Amino acid sequence: MADFLGSIAQGVEKGDDKQVVELAGKALESGLAARDILEKGLVPGIQALGQRFKDGTAYLPEILVSCRAMNRGVEVLKPHLGDADIGNKGTVIVGTVEGDMHDIGKNLVKLMLESNGFRVEDLGADVVPDVFVNAVRDGQADIVALSALLTMTMVEMPNVIGALKEAGLRDKVKILIGGAPITRQFADEIGAEGFAEDCASAVDEAARLMAL
Amino acid sequence: MDKSKAPMPNRERFLAICRGERPGDVSVIDWLHRCWAETVDAWIEQGAPRDIKDQDSMNRYFQFDHLHGLHEIVSEHNRSDLKEIASAQTMGYYHITPPIVPVYEIKVLREDERHRVETTFGGSTVEISKEHPWRMPRFLDRPVKDWATWKEYKKRLDPDTPARWPRDWNAFTARINSTDAPVMLLLEGYFGVLREWTGMESLLYMFYDEPKLVEDMMDQVLHLSMGIARRVVQDLRIDCVRFWEDMAYKTGPLISPEMFRKFMLPRYKQITDFLRSNGIDVLHVDSDGNVDELIPLWLEVGVNFPWPLEVAAGMDGVALRKKYGKDLILGGNIDKRAIIKGKEATREEVMSKVPYLLETGGYFPCLDHVVPPDVPLENFRYYLNLLREIGGQEKLPE
Repeated sequence: MADFLGSIAQGVEKGDDKQVVELAGKALESGLAARDILEKGLVPGIQALGQRFKDGTAYLPEILVSCRAMNRGVEVLKPHLGDADIGNKGTVIVGTVEGDMHDIGKNLVKLMLESNGFRVEDLGADVVPDVFVNAVRDGQADIVALSALLTMTMVEMPNVIGALKEAGLRDKVKILIGGAPITRQFADEIGAEGFAEDCASAVDEAARLMAL
Repeated sequence: MDKSKAPMPNRERFLAICRGERPGDVSVIDWLHRCWAETVDAWIEQGAPRDIKDQDSMNRYFQFDHLHGLHEIVSEHNRSDLKEIASAQTMGYYHITPPIVPVYEIKVLREDERHRVETTFGGSTVEISKEHPWRMPRFLDRPVKDWATWKEYKKRLDPDTPARWPRDWNAFTARINSTDAPVMLLLEGYFGVLREWTGMESLLYMFYDEPKLVEDMMDQVLHLSMGIARRVVQDLRIDCVRFWEDMAYKTGPLISPEMFRKFMLPRYKQITDFLRSNGIDVLHVDSDGNVDELIPLWLEVGVNFPWPLEVAAGMDGVALRKKYGKDLILGGNIDKRAIIKGKEATREEVMSKVPYLLETGGYFPCLDHVVPPDVPLENFRYYLNLLREIGGQEKLPE
């Protein structure tokens, strides 16, 4: 059992999706519970890779192939998992703020959050405040994650927070922000609870905000 | 007069600053102070003359020193040969058109109140904000997806295509060789343009899934660059070569140093060896983000002039000078956010690093990226006057 799980974790960490899919299938056939394969095989693999990224020994290509391996492994397990087992760490709305069409950073954050057990609703790029407000009102969001790449568009972030306040929804969610010009100081100034330098620290910040 | 401040021809002065031979000399270069198209519009609204849309007029207004980028040759992505581009010195996404000849036709595919989806000169499909058409769009599709699409695309990257070159080569070379300004050949690096062809996420996957395809694309960049450089060095006086990469983000490079070493370094070495053997030893690289890990790799192949050294990404020009001494020519590193903030923040930012970098030599003061539209004209002029004050130059005329 330990062999399967260790090899699955290694497969995720090195981004070998074929190995992960094959081993996840075999592990199921051998009688291992899908939930154990997820929590003791796939999750430690992606966590190890996330740590290497934070340590500076893994880079974005490694993040992408590891997340792909993780997600393909989850696909194999899905028919055997309950809804509560997938995306059970919380729900995050992600979007790039109005006037900003950049979406690469936001997409990476989405990928990493999903790979680490969060449910993500992606509102896209150039998102006006009302769309964030409606998504919070209509959904089950715990966190709203805002992205901006430009100094000209980072100023839209407080507008989203203001719109949530006006709608009486501010206390329902935590705000997490990130992007090239964004700093912790800016997050504090605009009253955002979370700030992430990159896609791996976004996972840590989301977990912190959910008090996980 | 202080020898370092003595007047000399622009080209010689540029090269002397690069060699660290004119400590304290403030050369404010137009190329390093390019603006977004929206910035120029905002400045005109704030009282700048309307003619600053023209590069020469802008240079007179701000007293910039001119560095001539060889846009006349289609060798990189900033394209002044395409009619949709408003003017040569302002930046917008249309400028980011890979060096393909011929370009693709622009076609509007669909639009709504806020956005327009269209194909680009470079063969991508993008969604553009109608309110901010010059800002970077969202890319929906890219022209190179696999070997088949690459083989077709590659046909547009022949260095010998006549349309890539000025029609009257002799007249062009005579004009450029007689200019007083330093002249910069514009070439692509080995990451940035591949990302333009394939999209970032696709390219990053390709390093694992299709490494041979990545290498073939890089080989074509090298073939194109070598073909262009061979002809150019025969007939033109070149002072500097610029490589465009944009291969880092806020916390570091987009690929590992090991990947750089495996894929990019051998190709860089071929072109830089050729350039250096032709006496060109100012090799400039444009990459946003935190490039700390990339600098030693670039230095290994002789690329010695990084820009813009983004402060928000943790780049520290003073620390780089202390670490690398005069091996590195520095450009940028003045936090644009400080200039946006106001005069006090500008003074604090400039005085904290510019005097030291100037005195240690080999530094061109400029903002840490293209000037964005939220930099007010008044603040920008204050910043320029501060640099002039440090350099012992007269204030800009009102």
